[in-house]
Amino acid sequence: MMSTGQVGIAPPLGRGSPALEISGLRKAFGDNVAVDDVDLTVYQGSFFGLVGPNGAGKTTALSMAVGLLRPDSGSSRIFGVDVWAEPVRAKALMGVLPDGLAMPERLTGRELLTFLGALRGMDRDTVAHRTGELLNVMELTGAERTLVIDYSTGMRKKIGLATALLHGPRLLVLDEPFEAVDPVSAATLKGILKRFVASGGSVVLSSHVMALVEQLCDTVAVMDGGKVVAAGTLEEVRGGRSLEETFVSLVGAPAGRKEGLSWLAS
Amino acid sequence: MVGVLRPMIRMKLAIMRHSTGGTRGTLMATGAALGLLLAAGTIWLATLRPDHPAALGDVLAVAFALWTLGWVLGPLSGGGAPVLRVGHFALLPISRLRLAIGLLGASLVAVTTAITLLAFAGLVVYAARLGLGPAVVALPAVLLQLSFVILLSRVAVGVFGEIAKSRLGGVLAGVMQGAMMVVAQSGWMVIVALDQFQILKTGFPPEVSAVLRTLPSSWGLVAVDAASRSDWPLAAGALAGLALVVVFLLMAWSRLLRLSRTARVVIRGSGGGATEGRTSTRPFLPSGGTAAVVLKELRAWWRDPARWSLFCVAPAWALITSLLPLAFGETALLPWAAPAAALMAAALYVNAWGHDGTALWLTLLTPGAERRDVRGRQLAWLAVFTPTTVLMAALLVPLSGQGWTWPWVLALLPALLGGGAGLAAWVGVTQLVPGPDPHRNRDNPLEGGESTAAQGLLVFFAGLLPVVPAAAVVRAGTLQGNDLLLWGGMPISVVTGALCAWLLGRFAYRHLEAHEPEMLHMMLSGGIVQAATEEAEPSVLDTMSRRRQAALFVGVWLGSIALFPQGLVPLGIKLSGGDDPVWFLALYLPPSGSGRQSPPWS
Repeated sequence: MMSTGQVGIAPPLGRGSPALEISGLRKAFGDNVAVDDVDLTVYQGSFFGLVGPNGAGKTTALSMAVGLLRPDSGSSRIFGVDVWAEPVRAKALMGVLPDGLAMPERLTGRELLTFLGALRGMDRDTVAHRTGELLNVMELTGAERTLVIDYSTGMRKKIGLATALLHGPRLLVLDEPFEAVDPVSAATLKGILKRFVASGGSVVLSSHVMALVEQLCDTVAVMDGGKVVAAGTLEEVRGGRSLEETFVSLVGAPAGRKEGLSWLAS
Repeated sequence: MVGVLRPMIRMKLAIMRHSTGGTRGTLMATGAALGLLLAAGTIWLATLRPDHPAALGDVLAVAFALWTLGWVLGPLSGGGAPVLRVGHFALLPISRLRLAIGLLGASLVAVTTAITLLAFAGLVVYAARLGLGPAVVALPAVLLQLSFVILLSRVAVGVFGEIAKSRLGGVLAGVMQGAMMVVAQSGWMVIVALDQFQILKTGFPPEVSAVLRTLPSSWGLVAVDAASRSDWPLAAGALAGLALVVVFLLMAWSRLLRLSRTARVVIRGSGGGATEGRTSTRPFLPSGGTAAVVLKELRAWWRDPARWSLFCVAPAWALITSLLPLAFGETALLPWAAPAAALMAAALYVNAWGHDGTALWLTLLTPGAERRDVRGRQLAWLAVFTPTTVLMAALLVPLSGQGWTWPWVLALLPALLGGGAGLAAWVGVTQLVPGPDPHRNRDNPLEGGESTAAQGLLVFFAGLLPVVPAAAVVRAGTLQGNDLLLWGGMPISVVTGALCAWLLGRFAYRHLEAHEPEMLHMMLSGGIVQAATEEAEPSVLDTMSRRRQAALFVGVWLGSIALFPQGLVPLGIKLSGGDDPVWFLALYLPPSGSGRQSPPWS
């Protein structure tokens, strides 16, 4: 069964309370309503995929959910803590990877993680230990002396993911985590995320790569034009078809797909 | 060539249409009004009738040189990045020379160009007074001169952008910027010279006059003067020379348009696994998160060429300003270089958060990081500039032979440093100017970003206030001959400075805590106000930009007083033979030769 709009998702069997609960989020930039009254619930231990075409409002919705962008209305709760009412408590509970934002650019990967650990008030030895492990897993040890500003796009994604994992959060919110990451690294990252979910963690990721979402996620929401047009378990949403076919039928194939560009074929 | 020009000009107009609005529009309008006044002033200079016939040409030559300098300095100090950038056209199959010509043509369509053209029309006015022949010569001269300043400005940005990629280049760029600021502010020094050398009656000394005329910005004048003497070969030669310089600059620019000509200097960070478990804190730093921010900031000061450049500007500016009068055997300014450097260093550090771009998200998502971020940056700035300015004072006060200034210098420095650390943080947070993210801009450190001149002026003038209590005590001590009061200024200054840094820093992180999402959004959207948002209900952003507008108005207003009336008007008063100094600081300066033994206020 496919639920649409503001209908919540029933907690799957054996799942706990919500890790992330978004209700009625709305954001308009001038006349353009980027996110229009979005409700989503991500249960503990679930791997949640948010898909949608470019400009659907995925990044805006996730930014509001984690506290990076102030919503016009609506609320977001992390393990029951309101992000906008109790930001300090809420922020301690999650790890976030935004898409394409800057970082302290004149630090190496190790220095960056050490800096963030100290900024979070973490124990020095724990930070050093985790930093070493994270750099190893992300295969960034080869670039030990390279400053973040000289990182490639894929390396930036990986160090960004490491910053999200450093404090051991129980909820990860990742915006396009696999974009520009090479297949080998992507396989490593997928492994890390799967193990994280298997151990009871929750992951929300946005993507427009359907195959990837199908492969990783157990729960899916489809956004289009700032609204959630479908949400539910992967099986519910795709209903026997592939996710891509479902997605195209939900979002609508662009008009004029067959016409145009005739000069390119001649 | 028209083929390249038309689409480029249209593209530029379209971009300008979309980005003119809100603060940017206000700033542009204010700047345009100021520019128009300066242009009118230049034309007015051309109508003067000084006692000495050659003096007018010399004065105009100085004016044109200053306009040229303005064109070079403007883009380097972070303002007025070109609307059309080379990167926009990198993939188009057109030659670099055609691209350069297209970009030059497009840059003619600009408010700044129109204003400069108006100013250069002063040459036509001047020539018309000399006769028809000179006037005819003046027309092509003005156009060539305009092309010259635009191209020189572009080439300067290109060259500085190339060298500023390394730390040594950053230092060089910083010192150059400091030096150019000195020249730009030295309008009043010309007045002193006018007064001293009786220039209006005698003209400039022949050597000065000759040197002035070797500058390409004066070659139009040379051609006009030659035409008035019917020295047609020289007139033609000067014009041809100017044309040659223009062509040369065009070629140079088209070469610079090749993207990333030289490899960026890669700066390495601290190494490897051996450092695992190494402590991230240093014993002399405060504990925990604040120390981590201090360390991060110090690493940025050490590793980022742009920070090296930023570090050098203020000391270079203060040193050159105070050393220049040595040419007249005057040492009065030397002791004040250190306090001046501290003040200017704060005024240049006004956009710390803007320069880091969207990296703000990390502070935003780390619980309780705002206070540590602000305090860490303040402490790092103090750690960089306290030793620098103390060293300057320790060297320059003895060098000046004016030991009586010690109580003053010691009473000024702590309050200026502390006040600067507080003000720069507070203005940096509340008057954020969004710039491009460092990693998107890494090959062209000088390009992009709006001007922070208004914020800088605000900090510069407001930064003088924390000095008042300590200065009042030292003054009382001087008047009463009371040593306790005389030297009591320093501890008072330390307390004032610490209080300002603490209090304003507190305001800053409180503001940060309350407005971080809006600041981040502003940096993501580049601060461009879209026409569509104007009818929308007022958001916090609108409030912010109104505040910024207010700050801009105050800053531009103060700046225009400092630069225009205090610089050019006294020149006019002197030239027209007036003696009344009114409120122009420069005209109150004692005639040189009467070396001051004691400060004028004691």
